[in-house]
Amino acid sequence: METLTHILNGFTVAMQPINLWYTFLGVFMGTIIGVLPGIGPSAGIALLIPITYGMNPTSALIMMAGIYYGAKYGGSTTAILIRTPGEASSVMTSIDGYEMAKRGRAGAALAVSAIGSFIAGTIGVVGLTLFAVPLTSVALKFGPAEYFTLMLFAMTAVSTLTGKSPAKGVIATILGLMIATIGIDLQSGQARYTMGIPEFQDGVGFVVVVVGLFAMAEVLRGLEGIFCGTSAEAMKIKGKLWLTREEWRRSIGPIWRGGVIGFIVGVLPGAGGTIASIMSYTTEKRLSKHSEEFGHGAIEGVAGPESANNSDTAGALVPLLTLGIPGGGATAVMLGAFIMYGVQPGPLLFQNRPDLVWGLINSMYIGNVMLVILNLPLIGLFVRLLYIPQGILYPMIVAISAIGAYAINGSVVDLWLILIFGVIGYIFDKVDIPVAPLVLSLVLGGMMEQSFRQAMTISGGDLKIFYGSGITVTLLVMSLISVLLPFIIPRLRSMGSKGDES
Amino acid sequence: MTDRIIFVCTLLLAGVYFWGTAQIPSLELGDPLGPKAFPRMLGVGLLIAAAMLLAEILRDRKKVKAGGEDSGALSWEPQHWVVVAAVGWTALYIALFEPLGYMLATLLYLLGLTGYFNRSRHLMNGLTCVLFVTISYFAFTKLLGVNLARGIIPF
Repeated sequence: METLTHILNGFTVAMQPINLWYTFLGVFMGTIIGVLPGIGPSAGIALLIPITYGMNPTSALIMMAGIYYGAKYGGSTTAILIRTPGEASSVMTSIDGYEMAKRGRAGAALAVSAIGSFIAGTIGVVGLTLFAVPLTSVALKFGPAEYFTLMLFAMTAVSTLTGKSPAKGVIATILGLMIATIGIDLQSGQARYTMGIPEFQDGVGFVVVVVGLFAMAEVLRGLEGIFCGTSAEAMKIKGKLWLTREEWRRSIGPIWRGGVIGFIVGVLPGAGGTIASIMSYTTEKRLSKHSEEFGHGAIEGVAGPESANNSDTAGALVPLLTLGIPGGGATAVMLGAFIMYGVQPGPLLFQNRPDLVWGLINSMYIGNVMLVILNLPLIGLFVRLLYIPQGILYPMIVAISAIGAYAINGSVVDLWLILIFGVIGYIFDKVDIPVAPLVLSLVLGGMMEQSFRQAMTISGGDLKIFYGSGITVTLLVMSLISVLLPFIIPRLRSMGSKGDES
Repeated sequence: MTDRIIFVCTLLLAGVYFWGTAQIPSLELGDPLGPKAFPRMLGVGLLIAAAMLLAEILRDRKKVKAGGEDSGALSWEPQHWVVVAAVGWTALYIALFEPLGYMLATLLYLLGLTGYFNRSRHLMNGLTCVLFVTISYFAFTKLLGVNLARGIIPF
């Protein structure tokens, strides 16, 4: 009953004019960020943190969440019109979406993306509303040892499931943890790895790392693309921005299934929107009566994955809000934003700040309605952004990044860090080292070390504390499984194919 | 080849990190683990990751021998010089950010990049850059209260 009151109060918070304005601003910027190459949601949110410092945390977080899920809507536009996914998770949409656009059905592809995103996004928020409270009661039982093992699970899952090589994922994760150890150690007061640079005493800020790895690296890749002449031209929208009865009939199933798949995948750490959309695509291809159309403009191939990657964002907020532990790169940046505003997500937040949590969750219902309006009648406005010459766009992204980074401390050191991490991000991309695990472990690193040391202090230096409770053992086993999975699956596949041959 | 370079870099990094950990002064009072224990675990973790990478390199080599594709080869292409030049130009921008101030440094930086990457549209580039720099400077410093380097410009 009390929870219901909190949920209803949350609507009052979300409907306040100021919060409606920030919801709009968030989803509007999210759509732009999704459409434009260069700044993704992670870098977009990170850049806003120093600029919005001192704002009311509820409004600021509502705006940042808006950017996070709004970018998924915008990402599909570029996927359909120029076959370049604006966001990684739109990669499946670019296959059939672009084919539909070539056949003059760009309007239908954009419409089904927006409608599917709206329905599935709402399914995701309903799931988030339903699952958040039961999970917080489990999370209240967590001590330092449980938190340490939970973070270990999140990191192992992300490091082995993103990217092509599990070893490179683990290298990225440990690099992130190492960067997190730079600065004054909170418990002993000792400076670690500061290399005599005074700015490093407070540690390397995650904002500069994220902006460097995501925005600066993307700019370098983009400039390289312009030089090679590989940057694509946008197609014109042809046809009505609506679906025929037949298209509608074929889309509704994939939208619902995609919504459910996306939410479940989103809750799990490591998987994320890209895997959710691939899973939805393969499911639809398997279930479809005309699977031969997939890859040649099947509307199911747009409806399913687009829905899945939108409900995934709501799913990904479940562990972030209830446990305080993100399961991927973008939610790690969100956690960083929460912490910067002095808000610690987790079970206690639901008790202490129900207005903030439910205001934030409920703003997502409203944000999804705003997004469907922005992305259907107003889509033409956003498409114009695609005609901005990239030779102008990319340099400006560097200038915007410089403003955001300089705003943190007023120090040029942060600008150098952006450039260094930009180069690192560019090289990592070329050699297939994923950057999401690095960001996740950088944000969680400090907390992970603290919980490890607290647990060891409680146990008097006995490691037994990490396998002393049902929760820790389960989490350790799950971590072990996530490490072994990439090695086991190819074995099973090769055994299966040998079995088929014989 | 690329993976082998990553392997060597990982080992080097682990070495440097272990050395850095040894430099942290120890005052382990009231904290049984002290500031060095967690970093030591990370160093070991990085060595384990390097071992995992070595296992992958060996596995891939077997695949290549069995007629598979060698995915690890990266070569130096002309476009990489463009990236090097862009990084150098950005480094110059950062070096001049405080001495010249945000407006002037950014204007020069943008004019340089747009002049090369959006060629033969000098008027449009120039106008866009001037507008962008002016609007962004005043919007961020006056409206949002963000501190940006003033440099040699008096306002």
